Amino acid sequence: MSETAEATATADNKNADEHGAQTGPVFSVRNLWKVFGPKADRVPGDPGVTGLSQAELREKTGCTAAVRDVSFDVHKGEVFVVMGLSGSGKSTLVRCLTRLIEPTAGTLEFNGEDVISMGKDALRRLRRHRASMVFQNFGLLPHRSVLDNVAYGLEIQGVAKAERRERAAEMVAKVGLEGLGDRRPGQLSGGQQQRVGLARALAVDPEVLLFDEPFSALDPLIRRDMQEEVIRLHREEGRTMVFITHDLSEALRLGDRIALMRDGEVVQLGTPEEIVANPADDYVRDFVRDVPREQVISVRRAMRKAEATEQETGAALAPDTLVADAIETVARSGESCRVVENGRTIGVVDDARLLSVVAGLDTAQDDGDGEPKEVAAV
Amino acid sequence: MSTTTLPQRGKEAAGTATQAPEATPPGGVRGLLARPAFMGFLVVVVALVVGAVAADSGTWPKALTFDVKGPLDDVSNWLTDNRAKSPLFLYFLLHISNWSEGGVDYVFTFLNSLGWLGVTALATAVSWYVAGAGLRMRSLRIALLTLCTFAAFGVLGLWDYAMATLALMVLAVAVSAVIGVLLGLVAGLSDRGERVLRPVFDTMQVMPAFAYLLPLVLIFGIGSPAALVSTVIYAAPPMARLTALGLRGADAAALEASRSLGAGAWQRLWTARLPLARREMLLGLNQTIMMALSMVVMASVIGSGGLGDKIYQALSKDNVGMALVAGVCIVLIAIWLDRVTAAAGDQLEAPAAPARVGGDTGAVSLEKAIGWLAWGAFVAFGALGALFGPIGERSWPIDWTTTVSAPLTEGIESFTGAISDGVPVLGGTDVWAAHFTSWVLNPMREAMQAAPWWGVLLLVAVIAWMVGSWRAGLTSILSLSVIGVLGLWHKSMDTLSQVIVSVLCTLVVGVLIGIVAARSRWVMRLIRPVLDVMQTMPQFVYLVPVVALVGVGRPAAILAAVVYALPAVIRITAQGLRSVDPAAMEASRSLGGTAWQQLRQVQLPLARPSLMLACNQGVVLVLAIVVIGGLVGGGALGYDVVYGLQKSDLGVGLSAGVAIVCLGLMLDRLTQSAGSTGKRGGTK
Repeated sequence: MSETAEATATADNKNADEHGAQTGPVFSVRNLWKVFGPKADRVPGDPGVTGLSQAELREKTGCTAAVRDVSFDVHKGEVFVVMGLSGSGKSTLVRCLTRLIEPTAGTLEFNGEDVISMGKDALRRLRRHRASMVFQNFGLLPHRSVLDNVAYGLEIQGVAKAERRERAAEMVAKVGLEGLGDRRPGQLSGGQQQRVGLARALAVDPEVLLFDEPFSALDPLIRRDMQEEVIRLHREEGRTMVFITHDLSEALRLGDRIALMRDGEVVQLGTPEEIVANPADDYVRDFVRDVPREQVISVRRAMRKAEATEQETGAALAPDTLVADAIETVARSGESCRVVENGRTIGVVDDARLLSVVAGLDTAQDDGDGEPKEVAAV
Repeated sequence: MSTTTLPQRGKEAAGTATQAPEATPPGGVRGLLARPAFMGFLVVVVALVVGAVAADSGTWPKALTFDVKGPLDDVSNWLTDNRAKSPLFLYFLLHISNWSEGGVDYVFTFLNSLGWLGVTALATAVSWYVAGAGLRMRSLRIALLTLCTFAAFGVLGLWDYAMATLALMVLAVAVSAVIGVLLGLVAGLSDRGERVLRPVFDTMQVMPAFAYLLPLVLIFGIGSPAALVSTVIYAAPPMARLTALGLRGADAAALEASRSLGAGAWQRLWTARLPLARREMLLGLNQTIMMALSMVVMASVIGSGGLGDKIYQALSKDNVGMALVAGVCIVLIAIWLDRVTAAAGDQLEAPAAPARVGGDTGAVSLEKAIGWLAWGAFVAFGALGALFGPIGERSWPIDWTTTVSAPLTEGIESFTGAISDGVPVLGGTDVWAAHFTSWVLNPMREAMQAAPWWGVLLLVAVIAWMVGSWRAGLTSILSLSVIGVLGLWHKSMDTLSQVIVSVLCTLVVGVLIGIVAARSRWVMRLIRPVLDVMQTMPQFVYLVPVVALVGVGRPAAILAAVVYALPAVIRITAQGLRSVDPAAMEASRSLGGTAWQQLRQVQLPLARPSLMLACNQGVVLVLAIVVIGGLVGGGALGYDVVYGLQKSDLGVGLSAGVAIVCLGLMLDRLTQSAGSTGKRGGTK
């Protein structure tokens, strides 16, 4: 690519960026399908087969629908987690976002631009500058040094050697690999290799980072380190992230919103709290059963209406305080606490309400309540 | 070397060493009797014996043969008449011919103009550089090896011959590598390409090179073009094969990462695909070089000149000393080339520690400076040498040579004479060879020639069906039938009897040594370097010592074949036994199994695929040498090929060549069980 063309492309990026920031989501996915198999393109449009289960569909058409009729928006600056067990289609979904796998049907927009209709060059620009990916198996080039691996994306863009090395060195430092720039990937531990993968994705300064189960291959302790690294990066840079994982605790730790997938479909989409507190069906309920609920659910969901005498007494808590923290406050003070929003008491939590959250008794009550249901239906 | 190392090393590279063992059939005689295939086998054997007794000759009926001699002679005549007229020659083949001739001449002249000192200096410097340069032990050792190799050419008085061989080698390797990489790209990147090329490569691998020399001679005439083309045909497939293997085996995640970063197809190929395949490609280059050497030497039969020609002439004059000296030079070239490419491979795997990390930069730059100084010294020395004094002579100074061949011949003759029949009680090599011929080879040959042709066909079909699939059976029968139709049944049975005897000897000795080597680390360490050297030696060289030992005749060919095929069989057996699941071994040991029980009940059954592979490789390699044995009195098909080459008789030579290829195909299919098919390819 010539330099001028590149400059215009970056300028375009910036415009689109600002534009996108004002108006809409980064990714906007509607009715996306990915079907593998013979005559796959006929499946999404055929009302006779779209309702079938995976097994029935395979029997009838010989096709497998890895992604079925998925719709969601990824907002700017959020960490959007797609979670599901293996085979649920999440990795296919994330590859559809930059058309590493070609979607079968549906619409897909990136900052308002139609990705499906993009030509080769536009798509290449998208992959080079705007969305980069971190892979489960790292995908590093064993014959290159760490520094050259990190600079690889820039090299593909055609950035001059000195410049790309300089930027790569910055990224290497950023992910905490100072001094290891001359090593080969084979000489690094798994966690360090994934830091290289992360640095490679960051080096091109993309608008969106796509993570495909990046930490699944790592030890639990290292995985925690890496999750913290991602949280830190997100806090510092506010970059939009789409994160694929099969690990629920990882999803709950990282996600601003979570889309839970099963057999290619999104069964529930919401904040971690909504999913834990208000599972959409038995599958999700089963999934989140072992989650320590007090760590995820906030007092807004646990509170009851304040009686007249309680309006002014007791410690004040913010509505998004976690139940676990509220338990501590209530236990210390020995009385119920107020939930205060904008100086107004909107409810009260006492030991009974908090215990019912821990015991998992609150869901049934919520169903009777109008408000939480509305949130869960996002 | 050659065909052996390819699937074996390729397999290692592909990492498919462990393979789920197939369900073993119930053991024991009763188990065997329960299998219909075995019953069929028994029936056929009985029928064969009865048939052989009943009919006085079992040869293929005259009525079923087709006379190919006439048409082939016509073709041959047409080729001779039209060499200067036909557009096929004028616009295509002549260009190849002229180009090869010119190329070889050019390289030879270039080497000559460098002078002996320049060539030695250049080769040493290049080897040193390829092995990683610097002052490390590894690169210095390689440089020393190179220096000694080239000095040996001179001291042994074979400098000019060695240069002729090298000139042909340089060009042949370059062309083979380029063609190999291109074909490898096709087979590695396109599925259709692979479907087309794969069977071609498979066939090339079992085809004895000797078989296709003749057509090339007819097209290009005797001389370096025919030698070059045959070498390229022989040496390009491993490069192509391993390139394709590397391209297909590349880390999918890395390729996807490259794509996700927006790399185009070319960028992906250059920055990810090819670099990821570099290890396999280097392995391919190594094999291509070794096979090219083997063929360049053998091509002396069709006038390639050089060291091979020296051996060829010495063999025909029964000058063992001369042949041995030339053989030593060839072995030195082989070892040198193998070590240099291996060192280059190590260099890829474990590159020198990065030089940029602060602290020791001083030491590193010193090392670099010394390196450049050494380069400079080499070049300056070479240039000076080229201009002045005795070291300026083009060829190695005559005063510095020793004539070892005459005393060597005498020494060898007195030695072999002493052990040929003078050993009390034991007899001697000649006596053994004579006994071997009259007690083993002759009965075997007579039995096979007496056996009725339909019985042999049936037997082959049943064996192929038992071992592999009905397809293998069909291919085997077709191959054998072609031999019959060509009217070469009698001779082919002779060759086949030699092959069978050699294979049996190879397998017995090879598997035994393999078992010992697998069980004892010490033995393995002892024989590994020997195997390394043996596997790099060109086929042709094996003929030299055996002729010295047992004289010309079939035993010589068989001995050479056994010795040639042994390393591969030992290697594969030992490796197969060693790679047996350690958990299974441990279980057997924990149950109190003796070493013998472990071997018989666990290791051998689990290593069955490897043993099959060893058998298959043994057969293919043995056939290649038994055929070349035509040069040292092996007779039969090999002799026909030699005769055809010497007299330019296409009728005799080509039909014998076709028969050899058919025999090769049949033997390959017979020993290639369903399990080992995937192994040979590596990519499956």
